[in-house]
Amino acid sequence: MVEFSPEVIDMVIRAAALLGAGFAMIAGIGPGIGQGYAAGKAVESVARDPEARGNIITTMLLGQAVAESTGIYSLVIAIVLIFTI
Amino acid sequence: MNNINDPNKMQIEILKRTYLISILPIAYGLISGEFETLLGFIFGLVISTLILRLRVINIERSLDMAEEKAEKFIRNRYFIEYTIYFVVLAVARLNPSLNFLATAVGLFMIKFTVLLWMLLDMVRGGLNKKLQEYKKLKEDKTEKGGN
Repeated sequence: MVEFSPEVIDMVIRAAALLGAGFAMIAGIGPGIGQGYAAGKAVESVARDPEARGNIITTMLLGQAVAESTGIYSLVIAIVLIFTI
Repeated sequence: MNNINDPNKMQIEILKRTYLISILPIAYGLISGEFETLLGFIFGLVISTLILRLRVINIERSLDMAEEKAEKFIRNRYFIEYTIYFVVLAVARLNPSLNFLATAVGLFMIKFTVLLWMLLDMVRGGLNKKLQEYKKLKEDKTEKGGN
């Protein structure tokens, strides 16, 4: 059976943690695309009904505030993986 | 929640409720003497408040643009905000006088408040509907009993 030295094992763990952090950051792309799409549709809605501008802004604000959560979750996981291990 | 049409009013209302809920963790930090937790939480809360203000400004600006340009603009601004979040969390992780998890919770407070607010509105709406149905049923029964 092949035995690895503690330095090699540490290096593999560190590499795996950094790889995991990289994969976790993929989750940050989704909300960006979603928010951009929502903004485009909001512009279309305002063009169709300019009087509803205030309502559209408030709805979009609430939606964007909540949509961003998943991105921050992934960021927290990535930072824990980068700085803890 | 959906009755508020003015973005500035909505922003103030969100912040008011967020600070109201934030009293609990701040009181916990003060009473338990965990000042790292308290500082971390306040740091996260301040940053999330500023980012909310930034988001309102960005949304208002984006609505005056063409559709594709607004899409790109909001996407780019999101990644800038994401970078700010990264810097804030990294600082909280590296600085020993700030608690990392408390900072993360501080950043999430506005999202928690919005979700809680929506949930309470939903429950309130459902209860009001049931109450009205019950009142109508009761009125119908009394009318039938009277006849």
